[in-house]
Amino acid sequence: MQHMKRMRYISGSIFKALPVLLALVLSGSLSAQDTLRTYGPRFGLDLARLIYLFTDPSETGAEASVDFEVYRNVYPVFELGFNSMSDSRELFDYSSSGAYGRGGVDYNVLSLKDRSAHHGITLGFRYGMSRFTQKVEDILIPEVYWGDFQAEDYENSLTGYWIELVGGMKAEVVSNFFLGWSLRYKILLNPDMDPVMVPEMIPGYGTGGEDRVFGFTYSIYYKIPLFKK
Amino acid sequence: MRFRTLFLLAGIFMAGCVSVEVCEEEYVSEMVARFKTMKEGTAADTTVSALSLYGIREGKIDSLFYDSIPASGFMVPLDPHHAYSSFVLQLDTLRDTLTVYYEREAYLISYTCGFANLFTLDHIEPSTGVIKNDSILMDMIDAAYETNEVHIWLYL
Repeated sequence: MQHMKRMRYISGSIFKALPVLLALVLSGSLSAQDTLRTYGPRFGLDLARLIYLFTDPSETGAEASVDFEVYRNVYPVFELGFNSMSDSRELFDYSSSGAYGRGGVDYNVLSLKDRSAHHGITLGFRYGMSRFTQKVEDILIPEVYWGDFQAEDYENSLTGYWIELVGGMKAEVVSNFFLGWSLRYKILLNPDMDPVMVPEMIPGYGTGGEDRVFGFTYSIYYKIPLFKK
Repeated sequence: MRFRTLFLLAGIFMAGCVSVEVCEEEYVSEMVARFKTMKEGTAADTTVSALSLYGIREGKIDSLFYDSIPASGFMVPLDPHHAYSSFVLQLDTLRDTLTVYYEREAYLISYTCGFANLFTLDHIEPSTGVIKNDSILMDMIDAAYETNEVHIWLYL
């Protein structure tokens, strides 16, 4: 059975968007010609999850985020999501599903003369936690002499913890609407969470068999303009 | 021409995103036994000139693991369907039945290879007295076999 290496799959559309985003960021010319900066919560939706529906239909999920510029160039951010996957293999059937959350801070390193321009290049970190259940059914252990053995099903509820280093870009393509991407380096803090079976998929993190993984998001955002100053 | 080159590169790139996994690990848990004799209070390795051995299986004909060959020990899989495995050993001209009792649980080798059984030995019962005594050296038996790994000694 072929297994898609998720971390190595990159959407072609993202490559096309990158130069557009960079041009928009460097020009800084989309916002109105005033010096007032708009503040408000910015809600995001990860579009990269939709790609998995085509590349790996056995996995579904969604992720939303919210951030707010509480201090110049400093953005606390919270992300919530869920993931579900199932994999029917020759020797066992595996499924994993659950929810996750991340909290952290992004810092905008892009300096623009126009304060009303909201593009950004950010560096940040996250602390992530996931509560999920993994289940293994129809376990078949081949045994030539004594006869193949059908083992008992296994199920376990687990909690995973990890930290992330995040780098990315956001560009305001239309007033209060943003497109952005992020690249993440994730470090799993409790890789031995299950003594019987390493989780195939930890929601929000990735494959539990690796202590270090890369992640990618491509999101659309809307900022609710609460006030300007 | 440029389009075809780009298409070819894209195809090579996408091919790198797909892989076929092959299991290269052992997935059968086998018990390793060594024959011993006591000489002046010390256990010494010994070899039988003709060892024949088969497992007692319900509803199946006997099938030999070893067929009258010289051996200083043997390696056999354990029966996952029961909490014990019974073997008939013929050592030269003498015959004995050996029953090994254990606990069993499944564990994951890898997602490619699937699961294997982990056996934890409890005790051993020979029957006719050809095997005079036994010792359990390593009670846990999994699919990963390491060189010189021995689980039980059988004293002749």
